Amino acid sequence: MIIEILQQMLNGLAIGSVYTVIALGLTVVFGILGIAHFAHGSVAMSGGYLTYLFGERLAIGFFPAMALAMLVGAVIGLLIERLAYRPVRDAPHINAFIIALGLTMMVEGINLLTFGADQVVIQTPYRGVFNVGGVAVAELRLLVILTACTLIGVVALLISRTKTGKSIRAVAQNRPAAVLMGVNVNRVSAIVFSVSSALGAAAGALVGALLAIAPGVGEGLAVKGFAVLILGGLGSIPGAIVGGLVLGVSESLAAGFISSAYKDVIAFMVMIVVLLFRPEGLLGKR
Amino acid sequence: MNKLARSIAAAGAALACLGAAAADKELLIGVNDSLTGPGAVYGLPQANSVQMAADEINAAGGIKAGGDVYKLRVIANDDKANPTEATNSVRKLIDRDGVKYLLGFCCSGPTSAVASFIERENALMLVGNAAERAITAKGIPNLFRTRPPADFTGAAAGTFVGKRGAKNVAVIGSLDVGFYTQYLEAFEREFAKAGGKIVAKETFGLKDRDMTPQLTKVRALNPDALLVLGYVEPSAFVYRQATELGMKIPRYGFTSGSEEQFLRVATSEQMEGVWDLRPTELTVEALADNAKTYVANYTKRFGTPPSPSSPYAYDQVYVLKQAVERAGSAEDPKKVTAEVRKVTVPKEAVMKYLPVGGTMFDVNGQAYTSNGAFQWQRGKWVYVSDLPSDPALYSEFLRGLRK
Repeated sequence: MIIEILQQMLNGLAIGSVYTVIALGLTVVFGILGIAHFAHGSVAMSGGYLTYLFGERLAIGFFPAMALAMLVGAVIGLLIERLAYRPVRDAPHINAFIIALGLTMMVEGINLLTFGADQVVIQTPYRGVFNVGGVAVAELRLLVILTACTLIGVVALLISRTKTGKSIRAVAQNRPAAVLMGVNVNRVSAIVFSVSSALGAAAGALVGALLAIAPGVGEGLAVKGFAVLILGGLGSIPGAIVGGLVLGVSESLAAGFISSAYKDVIAFMVMIVVLLFRPEGLLGKR
Repeated sequence: MNKLARSIAAAGAALACLGAAAADKELLIGVNDSLTGPGAVYGLPQANSVQMAADEINAAGGIKAGGDVYKLRVIANDDKANPTEATNSVRKLIDRDGVKYLLGFCCSGPTSAVASFIERENALMLVGNAAERAITAKGIPNLFRTRPPADFTGAAAGTFVGKRGAKNVAVIGSLDVGFYTQYLEAFEREFAKAGGKIVAKETFGLKDRDMTPQLTKVRALNPDALLVLGYVEPSAFVYRQATELGMKIPRYGFTSGSEEQFLRVATSEQMEGVWDLRPTELTVEALADNAKTYVANYTKRFGTPPSPSSPYAYDQVYVLKQAVERAGSAEDPKKVTAEVRKVTVPKEAVMKYLPVGGTMFDVNGQAYTSNGAFQWQRGKWVYVSDLPSDPALYSEFLRGLRK
C-alpha cells in the first residue's frame, strides 16, 4: 500500500511539475502585468510542435530542440506583447480579456494550419526504468521533474537576484512609482512576456515528450494553469510551484484510489476546498 | 455524295455525344469519417481507401450497369468522431450534395447517431470499422456493415487468453464506450468458462494520455495479464507506461492499430510481446494476394502503409459496385439496397469474410471476418493463429436481439 501511494505521488509529481511550469508562465504575466493570458496554453502547444520539428528535422536531440523552441517561444511572446497587449495596456481590462480570448483562437488556428490535426508525441532516448524500493522511476519522468525544477530555479533567480528582476518586481508592486523611478515599463513588459512564453514552450515540449500534443490540448493546459494560479495564489511564484504539485498529485491519487473517471472533478474539488478556507490561495497574500 | 458525307458526320457526332453522355454518368459517394481528432487513425485511412477503390474502378472504365457506365466521384466529410458533427455531415451530404450512397464510418458514436435516422432516408449506408453491436442489431434495412461486432471477437479472445493459462486478468480501457464493454462482456463470459477471473476494470477517456494512476493501481493487484481495450493512441500509452512502471506481465489488447501508429507513441522494445486479439483484418500472411496488392498500392499512393482496418471501407466500394451492376442502375438506392442483400464476397475484397448462407451479409446486414491473434515481435505485428469464431451462431444471437 505504501509503495502504491509513493508510486502514485511520483506519477503525480511528474504531471504536477508540468502544471507548475505552465502556471509559472501565467503567474508572471498576471502578477506583474495583470493580464489573464488565456492563449498561454496554445503558445505552449506551439512550443511542443516546434520541439518536435527541430528534433526531427535538425536531429539535435530533445533538450537542444526544446531550448531552440524556447527561443522561438520568447520571440512569439515579444510579438504578442507588442502587437496584441501593449496597445490596450491603458484601456479597460475587458479589452485585454477579449484580446486574450481572440489570441487563443488565433494561435490554436495557426498551430492547426502549420502542424496539422494529428497527435504528436516527441520521441526521446530516455527510456530507462529504475527500481527504488519497489517504486518504478522512469528516466523520462525524472528528467521532466528535474527540467521543471531547473526552469523554476532560473526564473526565481532572474526575478530575485538580477537588476531586470528588480525592475520586474518594481512594476509588479507599483507601476506608476516604478515609472517615476525610471523603470522602462515597455521593456519590463516585453521581458515578462518573453520569459512567460519561453516557459510555455518548455511546458509544451515536456507534455509532448511525456504524453502528447494535439489540437485542444493547449486549452486544457491553460485551464489547469489557471486552476494552479488560483490554488497557489494569484501572482505568487511559490504559490504556482506548490499549486502545480498539489494539483498533479491530487489528480494522481484521485485516479488511483477513487476513480480515474473523476480525476479532474476531484482535483478541482481540492481547489474549491482550499479556497473555502484560504480564499487568497495556498500562498497568496491577503 | 456531299450530303451523304454530312449525314454520316452528323450521325457520328451524335453517337459520339451519346457515348460521352453515357461516360459522363456520375455515381456520387459520400464518405463520412473521422478525418481529424481521436478517430482519425481509423477514419483517414478508410477515406483514403474509398478514394483509392473509386479511382481503380474509374481507371478500369467505371461501373457498367444496364446500358450505363458510372464514374465514381467521392466527397469526404469529417465528423471528428463526434455524433453531432456526424449528423450534420451526413445531412449535408444527403440534402445539399444529393448523395445516395454513404460509405466510411469508422467510429461507433458518430455511426450510431447516423444509424438512428438513416432508415427514413432514401440512401444506402455502408458502415466500416465501427464495432458497436447495436448498429446492426436493429436490422435497419438500408444499413450494412463490413466489420464484425466487437463481442463476436471478444468471445474468441476470452477463450484464447484462458487457454494460454491466465487466471487473473486486469482490464484497462475505454469502458464507457459501448463496443468495448460488449467485447469485455463476451471476453469475461468465455474467460470464466476457462476458470479465469477479471480482477480489475479501470477506465480511461478517449483523450486521456496519462494512465499511470490506473496502471499503478492494477500493478498492486499482481494480475497474471493485462487486457487493454481502447483506441490505438491511448492503448499505445498504456503499453508504454506499463513498461515504465516495470510491469512484465503479458499484455493483450483489442486495438487494430498499425505498426506505424503504435511506434508514434511507444518504442518497439516497449511493445515487444504485446498481443492484439482482433478481426484478422489486413494481415498479409493470412489473406490472399488482394491484400498484398492493396498494401502496395495504398503505400505508393499515400506514402504510408494502410491501417489494418482500412480495407473495411475499400471493400464497401466493391460491394456497392456489385450491387449497382446487379440492380442495372444506380438511380434508385432502394433497388441497389435490395441487391446488397444478395451480394457475394467481391473478388476484389481484401478482408477474409466468412459468408453466412452464401451471401456476404446476413439477415442483420452484418458481414463477418475471421478473428486472429497477433503478437508484436521485433517491430511488427505477426499473425500467430486464427481465433475460434462461429459467424452463423453469432448471426442468430444478433437476430435475437431485435425487438
